[in-house]
Amino acid sequence: MTSNVCTQCGYEHVVIHRKQNGQRLCSTCFRKSIEQKVLKTIKKQKLITKGDKVLVGLSGGKDSVALLKILNILKEKNIIELEAVTIDEGISGYREEGVRIAKDVAKELNIKHHIISFEDKYSFTIDKIMEVESQEEHPQHACTYCGVFRRQIFNQTAREINATKLATGHNLDDEAQSILMNYLEGNINNMVRIGYKTESRDERFTQKIKPLREIPEKEIGLYVLESGFEVHFDGCPYAHESFRMEIGDFLREETLKHPTIMYSTLNGFEKIKPAIKKDYMENHTGKPNKTCIKCGEPSSQDICKSCKFLEKIHEKLA
Amino acid sequence: MSIKLINKDDVKEIDFEENITIEELLKKEEIPIETVVIKQNGETVTEDEIINDNDEIEVIKVIYGG
Repeated sequence: MTSNVCTQCGYEHVVIHRKQNGQRLCSTCFRKSIEQKVLKTIKKQKLITKGDKVLVGLSGGKDSVALLKILNILKEKNIIELEAVTIDEGISGYREEGVRIAKDVAKELNIKHHIISFEDKYSFTIDKIMEVESQEEHPQHACTYCGVFRRQIFNQTAREINATKLATGHNLDDEAQSILMNYLEGNINNMVRIGYKTESRDERFTQKIKPLREIPEKEIGLYVLESGFEVHFDGCPYAHESFRMEIGDFLREETLKHPTIMYSTLNGFEKIKPAIKKDYMENHTGKPNKTCIKCGEPSSQDICKSCKFLEKIHEKLA
Repeated sequence: MSIKLINKDDVKEIDFEENITIEELLKKEEIPIETVVIKQNGETVTEDEIINDNDEIEVIKVIYGG
């Protein structure tokens, strides 16, 4: 039966039928195609140069596991140095599994692995914060705290180990969602910042790169499974119905009828971005770079967001 | 004919009158095709694959939402 034959090598069992280009691929050709595409993106967008020390944010989820595995190809060719960092926010019944998988994957690939917990660093867990927060009249969402603290830990770890790049596992679905969300919300300030890499005005921020940006989320899941890695697909207990989820469902639904829609969302955006950016930046000069008087981290204000949150949380926990 | 459908902790036997494809099975079971990878008797398959009698079909969710 022709429909079960690899269009690349002729092997008689395929694991994917790419509706966007008609390709049918066996497991080996599929994995190779993903790796080649990511390495091509890295080269074309100049995400990594020889001698870079790359730190991967490794949650243990499918995206970061795939990213680490692919970047390891460059490490094995002695093109880059590679380390991974996992953040344990203290979310009972959820995070343990991710941390365990992250440890296993880093060990298997022989990659230096840093595990940093909120408990050790800040003396609280997200669970503890949310327990107190639930007593409030208008409780903050867990993601608000989580995002700010995680960002701080990523930046600090990158600086401590002298990493030159900080790589994250953002995929095509994530990026198409961000683009569409910002269009619909009219958030041009956020929109002009979406890209393959960050262009920070402050050199104390390690440059962030997104090598998986052109790979659909489902293909990343398939890549990880076909590579023999275990992945935990359970959602975070604090995840909530969000605008991003609505947009994600809409884009996936549309992809069934229009298989190239996420690619065209990304590509179209990349084409108009320089124009929007030029026009927008002329009228909006960036915030001055300050230093947080409490922690010494780069900040747009005298006290950074993380320190403001820390103060508030310690007051509540006292 | 009858098959075994495994969806995480949910395992059930399903009976069919005639041969159908994975895609048709997922539609019947209201499982969003765009969020899952399917294994047929332990091997990853595409949604075009035809289901046979006594097959074991495993649904692996790879995307939240849907």
